[in-house]
Amino acid sequence: MPDWNRPDWKKIVRERMASPNSPLILKEEVIAELAAHLEETCEEAQSCGLDASAALERTLQEVNDWHVLAAKIRRAKSKEDPMNARTKTLWLPALASLLGASLAMTLLQRVGVRPRLVWTGQVEMAFYVPWLALLPLFGASGAYLSRRAGGTVRTRVTASLAPVLWLLLLCILTEPLELASRGFSSLLYFGYGLAQYVAIPGIALLLGALPFLRESRAPERQPRTT
Amino acid sequence: MTKRIRSKIARGSGELAILSLLAEQPLYGFEISKQIGERTGGALKFTLASLYPLLYDMEKRGWVEGHWQANSAGRDRRYYRLTPGGRKQLAPLKEEWRTFFQALDTLAGVSHA
Repeated sequence: MPDWNRPDWKKIVRERMASPNSPLILKEEVIAELAAHLEETCEEAQSCGLDASAALERTLQEVNDWHVLAAKIRRAKSKEDPMNARTKTLWLPALASLLGASLAMTLLQRVGVRPRLVWTGQVEMAFYVPWLALLPLFGASGAYLSRRAGGTVRTRVTASLAPVLWLLLLCILTEPLELASRGFSSLLYFGYGLAQYVAIPGIALLLGALPFLRESRAPERQPRTT
Repeated sequence: MTKRIRSKIARGSGELAILSLLAEQPLYGFEISKQIGERTGGALKFTLASLYPLLYDMEKRGWVEGHWQANSAGRDRRYYRLTPGGRKQLAPLKEEWRTFFQALDTLAGVSHA
């Protein structure tokens, strides 16, 4: 809690702007500037007759959401626009993972690789084993590129899973047609389809991504309160 | 009017207000916000949350530049001054707003409201 008589404005700004989800900490210079602004706002409120605690309360109303402010300042201070940041951390790595997996499947089919058929008792499932064996590479490339661009762990996972997220979307979009033509029996095929095209390839992709998820980009150590 | 358009208008008016003030003299953030409030009779108000993202963005675009300097009370403050690039922006920005208000005036008679 700040000292009501003489608040430590830098400490207040640092504490309120700190976010566990944010990989970047604002520069000390920015914190000092915002703290100076709050200090003068508070002094002015006191000179208008407010007592210290009321002045502090009014001063803190200058900012509704500190995390939003921190994000806006980061964007303003950043050398690139936010679209570029998202493109670099998510879309490009996801595209690399998706293209790699798609090209590998196309090439394997061109050279005549046949799927291994597995009879489950109800449905025959087809697995391209060489493709599944290659998937960790593409999961790793998505996660690696995302991490290199400063992506969060969630972004890295999403980028690495792009090939199966695309397949999942296709499954979901086509299921209503299947339901209409085959009735509820299509739900069984849907379930096996999810396992065959989403769950098992997803696990393979995640296996490749794992080494790049563990090493989180830790936030810089916050400066000590002065 | 969509939120996006309102936001662009607010941003544009903020840029013009800040550039106009800094064209007169270098000021630091609190002074900018205070002078805008006082000179517009409170019609335009900048809180810390609205002022600094805009100032930093204008600094990134090279319109203003900040430097630390002691104020009259001897406390270090980050003063902003207009750059030649910012000065170049001021006239076209004023012209854009003049055109905008003339257009609104033609449509809605806002200057006589």
